[in-house]
Amino acid sequence: MFQPAATPYSPFSTYGVTPIATFPGFQPSGLDSGGPTLFRDPIFTSVASANTGAFSNNTTTTTAAASQFKMSSHDLEAQAALARDFQPALKGPLVAEKKSSLAITEEYAKADPVYVAKTAALPQKYSHYRPILGDGNCGWRAAGFSYFETLLRLQNRAQIEEEIARMTSLDNLIITVGGFEAWTFEDMVEETTKLLRALAELVPSSPQAAMDLLMQHFNNPEISNAIVYHLRLLASSLLQGSPENYQDFIPDNLGVEGYRKNWLEPVDQEIDHLGMTLLIDVLLKPIGFAVEIVYLDRSEGTQVNSHIMQSQDSNGLPTNPGGPMIHLLYRPSHYDILYKDLPSIPLQPLQAVSEVPRNQNIQVNRAANFTHQHSIQSTPMGDYSQLDLLLCIPGFGLSPQQSHHGFPSQYQSPIDQTYAPSPISSISPISPGTSSATTPSSAALQQSFPSQPPPPSTVTSPTLTSPHPSFPANTSLPIHSHLPPPHRPSLTTHTSLSSDLSSPSSAGSSFRPSKYEWRAAADWAQEGPVQFLTSTFKNSHYNTAHYNNPNFQPEEWSPEADEQQNPRKRLN
Amino acid sequence: MASSQKRISKELAEVTTNPPAGITVSLVDEANVHNWNIVMDGPEGSPYAGGKFKLLLVLPTDYPFKPPKINFKTRIWHPNVTFDEHGSMCVGILKPEAWKPSSKIMSVLTATQQLLIEPVPDDALEANAAEKFKNNRAEFNKEAKEWTKKYAK
Repeated sequence: MFQPAATPYSPFSTYGVTPIATFPGFQPSGLDSGGPTLFRDPIFTSVASANTGAFSNNTTTTTAAASQFKMSSHDLEAQAALARDFQPALKGPLVAEKKSSLAITEEYAKADPVYVAKTAALPQKYSHYRPILGDGNCGWRAAGFSYFETLLRLQNRAQIEEEIARMTSLDNLIITVGGFEAWTFEDMVEETTKLLRALAELVPSSPQAAMDLLMQHFNNPEISNAIVYHLRLLASSLLQGSPENYQDFIPDNLGVEGYRKNWLEPVDQEIDHLGMTLLIDVLLKPIGFAVEIVYLDRSEGTQVNSHIMQSQDSNGLPTNPGGPMIHLLYRPSHYDILYKDLPSIPLQPLQAVSEVPRNQNIQVNRAANFTHQHSIQSTPMGDYSQLDLLLCIPGFGLSPQQSHHGFPSQYQSPIDQTYAPSPISSISPISPGTSSATTPSSAALQQSFPSQPPPPSTVTSPTLTSPHPSFPANTSLPIHSHLPPPHRPSLTTHTSLSSDLSSPSSAGSSFRPSKYEWRAAADWAQEGPVQFLTSTFKNSHYNTAHYNNPNFQPEEWSPEADEQQNPRKRLN
Repeated sequence: MASSQKRISKELAEVTTNPPAGITVSLVDEANVHNWNIVMDGPEGSPYAGGKFKLLLVLPTDYPFKPPKINFKTRIWHPNVTFDEHGSMCVGILKPEAWKPSSKIMSVLTATQQLLIEPVPDDALEANAAEKFKNNRAEFNKEAKEWTKKYAK
């Protein structure tokens, strides 16, 4: 991660954005997630990937990174068109028991290689999933079930009781805005409120009984369908009430009326993207629940893409950062629920995130200038998708020693993924509409760096089972134009790195620090906040002064400390 | 009581307390709210005027999530009703893909009435009747009246 090669590849390939083109002096060269890896720099291997073999190399965080984009409907259509062979279960329970996500991997083990790679990476981020019956209501049911389940997870009886009140009061929306007669839907609302009431009763004493009751209700077709239809009415009424926010997304020029009639209100009509947006807006956003939709499709890349929808204020900052998040797995025309079974302890006090705009120093500001969107959605707190990323950071990982042992050839460096957030965010203002520029091939990739000498750190997985495009270090040159010429990328970067970390033997004498030096660096890092000296590191989220750092600590200038620090580092 | 029955009871109350003109509703069996007998007068101005048509309305157990089924028990010669003992009717509101649980039986009944006044020959079940309705309205009206006299007394 200490290589300043910001590798802006995989998040873009799926969105059709060519990041390179936006940097002056950089030739669009077809950087793509489909090509073979020319250059790997496995400085760190996350614990997770060390445990799980070849595919695990693909784990990490493209998903989180990619989620910073709004997906255009064009992309969604393209994705839907790309993959249609998934057949959701048509028999069985409406809402099944949680299973290990490995089941998804097995399901796809013989499928298209793109699916194989993507599904292989899935279980490491999302430990479990819950299949939903593909009866045309799956998206509605998945979101609805998750709503109740998340309320249960929070175990806050008062909140559930507030939800009873909110759901009851939303009847007004359905009647006055939606134009439905109360008696035609009051039975459906009653199922929702009845379930909420029962859950509120059970939550304090026996959460497990509450969960059982929830499963039971959602698997009773009569109750389950009533609740689902209640949700449809809410979404439909919301659209009627604020068409200005949504009408541009209505397909086929149906108009608000036509969309409500043809997409939202018919029973068993599957939810589309707009429907899901409406549902989240009316059901989940108001109570600060965020939804991450993970797209499993045949778009290029070895990672699933994802998209986070959550309540944001006028500045685009989440109003409830670190709030509960629901994960939905989308396969063309089907939704299931995903789970990350991780400790639910926030990694960082929440106010640190919200204070960011006020506490920026110069470095942070520079990052923030182009990471507006990024700052919102990839704040690692509460978004556990970034947790595995943290494992790669010395001093921050759960087991730093393991995190940076050696450079095993079979492991691909997570470096490119860990870097993904910053390059993305720097380009995020670009409209995803420029998609036509991305169809780079691996050949193009190779040709574009013909003079690249094999750097000492090149360790390419012999089997290429998980063709994961890493970027040569010099891809970042246009961004960090202060770097020396590209012919010694890794040497340069590591040299600067080592001097930053004051590793004893690395001051220009080796290409990169040995693992012992890393360990020393990790120990050193645990003593106190790491002071990164190059602008690249200062601007990265590995800097504790960066608001994306889990140990975020605003930088404060104190003259005395300044004088003391420098000698200390040299000694070290 | 299942929620479908609650909903149906409300629908029944609406239709019986405030019945649409020319329509009377009763339960086939007082103990079962799912089967309704409908008697519909042939609308004035249509070739069915003067006739009384019996229909059977069946509400599925998962009503209102599935549409009701409605059949003419009295034979009727109409482009959108099969001219046989089933008397199956084709009306847009009842098609499964168009059905909305917020639709009411009241509106199903008035839609049926409207269908008698205005057949939809492009969506026909009886091709012969549809063809005559489109190309030879006088002949169609005459024939429909005859069948009405014969069956819908």
